[in-house]
Amino acid sequence: MRLSLSSPGAEAAAPKSNRRLSVWYGLLILILAIFIARLFYLQIVRHDYYRAQALADQQKEYTIPAARGTIAAKSGSGSVALVLNEKLYTLYADPAFIKNATEAAAKVAAVTNADKAEYAKAMKTKNSRYVVLARRLGEDQKKQISDLKLPGVGTQAQQYRTYPQGSLAAQVLGFVNNDGQGTYGVEQALDKTLMGTPGRLKAITDAQGVPLAASRDNIQVDPKPGKDLVLSLDLGMQRQLETILKQGLEASRSDSGGALIMEADSGAIRAMANLPTYDPAEYFNVSDAQRFNNATVSSPLEVGSVMKTLTISAALDLGVVKADTTYADPNHWKLDDHEITNIEEIGGPGTRSMTDILNRSINTGAVWLLMQMGGKTGEVTQTARERWHDYMVNHYRLGKATGIEQGYEAEGSIPDPKSGYALQLTYANTAFGQAMTATPLQLAAALAAILNGGTYYRPTLIDSIIDSSGKAEPKKPEALRTSVVKPSVGSELKAIMEYSVAHHTFKKPFPANFSVGGKTGTAQIANPAGGYYDNRYNGIYLGFVGGDRVQYVIAVRVNEPKVGKYAGSGAAQPLFGELAQMLINDFNVTPRSGG
Amino acid sequence: MTYSSSVAASKQGYARKGQNAVSFVAATRTLGPISNTIILIVLACLIGLLYLTQVTKTNSYGYTINSLQQQQSELQDQKANLEVTSARLQSLERVASSEVAKGLVSVAPSGSLSQ
Repeated sequence: MRLSLSSPGAEAAAPKSNRRLSVWYGLLILILAIFIARLFYLQIVRHDYYRAQALADQQKEYTIPAARGTIAAKSGSGSVALVLNEKLYTLYADPAFIKNATEAAAKVAAVTNADKAEYAKAMKTKNSRYVVLARRLGEDQKKQISDLKLPGVGTQAQQYRTYPQGSLAAQVLGFVNNDGQGTYGVEQALDKTLMGTPGRLKAITDAQGVPLAASRDNIQVDPKPGKDLVLSLDLGMQRQLETILKQGLEASRSDSGGALIMEADSGAIRAMANLPTYDPAEYFNVSDAQRFNNATVSSPLEVGSVMKTLTISAALDLGVVKADTTYADPNHWKLDDHEITNIEEIGGPGTRSMTDILNRSINTGAVWLLMQMGGKTGEVTQTARERWHDYMVNHYRLGKATGIEQGYEAEGSIPDPKSGYALQLTYANTAFGQAMTATPLQLAAALAAILNGGTYYRPTLIDSIIDSSGKAEPKKPEALRTSVVKPSVGSELKAIMEYSVAHHTFKKPFPANFSVGGKTGTAQIANPAGGYYDNRYNGIYLGFVGGDRVQYVIAVRVNEPKVGKYAGSGAAQPLFGELAQMLINDFNVTPRSGG
Repeated sequence: MTYSSSVAASKQGYARKGQNAVSFVAATRTLGPISNTIILIVLACLIGLLYLTQVTKTNSYGYTINSLQQQQSELQDQKANLEVTSARLQSLERVASSEVAKGLVSVAPSGSLSQ
């Protein structure tokens, strides 16, 4: 007999209890299934969406600005900073957080030495959350402001260019605008080199924006600082040139002018300036944009009689004349029904030499040289025009930008030798620097090419470029053309230009053991309505200083001086004299070996 | 038969309790599924804790790095400011207007050297 422990009532309850358990179990499974399904939907199906949402809140992307390269000038064997970077602060207010504007304004104004009433007015501005109170505050002022702990008043750091030498070489340097772009001068021409490459940080951050290191999605690319530039400018020479230029322009009562000094054997610019100038640290206060222009590079002009140096060189190089050639000068030419004459002091027709053409600045002599290039006296033939055009454009590289590291370099203009109005007259004018335009820089580079034996070096303002590791890469002279003219032509022109200086009056005589040569130019200013103004002239001087070899080429430009008709000799020549004396006295010009 | 001998005899007459039972002892001990699950969960928790510790530690290093970078940046700013100040103090304008420069006397060259 089987003994059973359960009662009949208990037998009936057991299936009921099992069913209840099954229901609960099923319910639990169902809830778990719902959870799993929901999690699957959120984490698998909507993964990308929610990941993006989360990252949008947690992940921040910062651009790390690259430090802009500095700019220095040479000084002896070292260099001196012209442009540096400085972190300054913008002081701002959020009017929504300021409770007592008068009190806050008084405290802030005491630090910035500004008008507290203006600050108070700004702090009460309605419908604005950001009001700039002051710019360019220093570190100390920023700290004082922070110590005040004023709600709604803050500072924001910003990098600025700073100029320890003030406005020295301002137009050569240019400036950096509010968008961080180099504008004018070297800053514009070498903007990419100076700018560097900004870095990037993409990271999961905490609530305060501090990047969390333990995120596999973090991306950090370090910025590459811009390269530093050492200019070929000599600090002392630049300073003296600017002083002499200022004095010269005042003496000749001219409003504007410029000058440059170039090394003949490399094309390196050692000094270059224009007046009036500006303070690059406060470029935003300049109302006349012309002040930003480095006119020596970017403002071409009809160069006048200094062009005769190039005309004689071309004729000598072509072999159509020799240095000792003389000819019968008629004192006027009639071309295309227009007459070309000379200044009164020439004194009528006569036998003239090459030296006379330059020393006495004989326009008809320059035209005669041009005629010889075509082989026909009395006519500027197409052959003459084409040969002269070839020299101007291909040998002397006029009408082309030199490629100097400056913004807005101008090309100038050379007339077409084959087509155009009154071609004979036009080309005759180019022989003495009218009816064409060039910049003083182009003229200096061309003259340097003739005098250094025939190599045209690209004018440059860069001595070396220094990368972020401190490695300096010297800029080598870049020869754009050799055989500009034969070396003998350079020697002959040097002698002719020395003669010209020796037969002109300078304030102080030059020491005999140095070679100083030059040529004046007085150019009529073109009237936009046609022809030329009768009483408006620009004065130019193109010359050199050296010993056995020409060391420096100097170009001077004086715009509309009030010195009468001869702007070249009256205004530009004295300036050249001062610059040449400065070079001889202070900058180690090597004298003649026989001196 | 004495009482004691009868008792002894009776004891010999009956089998001992459990004398036919077979005992089995496993040669190797294994954990059951529940133990395994618990151990796995504990291990997962430990690994999770380890991960969290590492992440927290790494992030705290991140704060240290951030702080050091800020220090570096501040020092670089200070260096840049000092360079600017130094350059300003050496500027030609300042040198020219210094007391020393004001005391200098201009001397015209009395002649030139010849080689």
